[in-house]
Amino acid sequence: MTINDFSPKRYYKLVLPTVGLLALIKLTAWVCGAGFDKLGKGLLQGISFVKIMFPPDWSAFPEMLEPALQSIAIAFIATVLGTLLAVVFAIAAASNLTNPIIRNITRFLIGLERSLPEIIILLILIAGYGLGVFSGIVALSLGCVGMLGKLLGDIIEEIDHTMIESLEAVGANKLQVIWFGVIPQIVPNLVSLALFRFEINIRLSIILGAVGAGGIGYELDTSFGLLQFHRGLTAVLVILVMVVGAEQLSHFIRNKIKLKGALK
Amino acid sequence: MNEQLILPSAKYKHKVGYLGISLFVVVAVCIYLKYNPFLIFADFTPIQRLLGEMLPPNFSVLWQPTIGKAIAQTGSAAFLATFYGCLIAFVLAFLTAANTMPLRFIRLLVGGFLSLLRIVPPLVCILIFIIAVGLGAFSGMLALIVITVGMFGRLFTDIIENTEHSAADAIYSVGASRLQVIRYAILPQIIPSFIANCLYAFDVNIRVAISLGIFGGGGIGYALYMAMQVLHYQDAFALICLIIIMILLIEKTSDYFRTMILGKEKLR
Repeated sequence: MTINDFSPKRYYKLVLPTVGLLALIKLTAWVCGAGFDKLGKGLLQGISFVKIMFPPDWSAFPEMLEPALQSIAIAFIATVLGTLLAVVFAIAAASNLTNPIIRNITRFLIGLERSLPEIIILLILIAGYGLGVFSGIVALSLGCVGMLGKLLGDIIEEIDHTMIESLEAVGANKLQVIWFGVIPQIVPNLVSLALFRFEINIRLSIILGAVGAGGIGYELDTSFGLLQFHRGLTAVLVILVMVVGAEQLSHFIRNKIKLKGALK
Repeated sequence: MNEQLILPSAKYKHKVGYLGISLFVVVAVCIYLKYNPFLIFADFTPIQRLLGEMLPPNFSVLWQPTIGKAIAQTGSAAFLATFYGCLIAFVLAFLTAANTMPLRFIRLLVGGFLSLLRIVPPLVCILIFIIAVGLGAFSGMLALIVITVGMFGRLFTDIIENTEHSAADAIYSVGASRLQVIRYAILPQIIPSFIANCLYAFDVNIRVAISLGIFGGGGIGYALYMAMQVLHYQDAFALICLIIIMILLIEKTSDYFRTMILGKEKLR
């Protein structure tokens, strides 16, 4: 194919969208105050700054362990309690278990929660309960409910209905139907979703920590705020290890569950 | 009734054992953090007090020009980050995919780079960019680009690797160059899902842009943070309502276009 084969006629439909897109990019760049010259200057500054950060301050490492443990504990407890709460919400949001009015109200609540980023929930909670671990855990648990409630609700709506019917036929009440008919069917999905959420919660607990929920995020933010960049880099390294570790653990357990499920 | 059946079975004992251990761990962690999970259900006074201060929301704050500018900044930061981030992720995905990049060395290099971007926490990104280019929407946008590339680079790679191989083989067998194979065999297959993912990326980026705004990325998140800091809860509540409406609207629009694109092209 040479340049002569390239006929503009084939591409005329693309001209208008391209021009529109370019205009939009120009406009948004102006609003943001973005520019490539600024980026070039900033990148040089950023690289020199990253050079300043090295080497990490290993003497601060023991001080980082406790906040890191705290962050992990926050993420863990928020995942567990949030998942338990999410199961309740998911059952209330499934059309085959509840009546339409409750289902729609629950779905609306879940949708409302999902549209608020966790950090804004945290800000509201901090205004109510003050800075600290409590607000962070509640914010993360609510985030769990929003995400897992919707996903689990959809999963419950698609489960095998014969089991529920046969339980109802032998005279089980609603709670027994849920405990013996619904829960066993969703447990594999529940565990893998909870693990996935745990990964997200580890990342979020760092961000929330910087706003004031405690943990390693707070250490990182204060180190940067006090211009102790070597200490900050230590915190960054600890965070990287935490995130990667959580990811690997969750992958490992999920693969194990998958293998077990295949054997069954 | 046979008494043998009433005795707990081995399976039941196992389950109770696991449950007991997990319960013990949860309680231990709760004690370690001094966290009482029932406090939120038992003690409503802080929330009550807060609601009393937040209601009625002061919607007149929304007509201030600073708020309009903040919304425009958040929106444009998310848009620019989606555009450039998806573009970079798209190019890098071709360098990582096994069926478009023959050199194993470059595949590993670019793949490792993408994984590195994925694990860098957003907080570290924004802190570094704030020092590099200063406070404001620009640093938020740059951090968002890094996050977008990390999130969608791997996804695009998977999409490229999952394309139908027969079309590429057919074109290659009649003597097309590697670029021509990409242009005529792979690109037509991935364009619909690429556009759908870009829309999804915009949806995600709006949320992240609001969160990053709180750390100095500018925009509506920063305005909300400021209102919270100076205890103007009525203004803050109005801003929260605005954020909810904004996010819901964008989510619905992006969902609509996504189903339109993917449904029309019969691809999913």
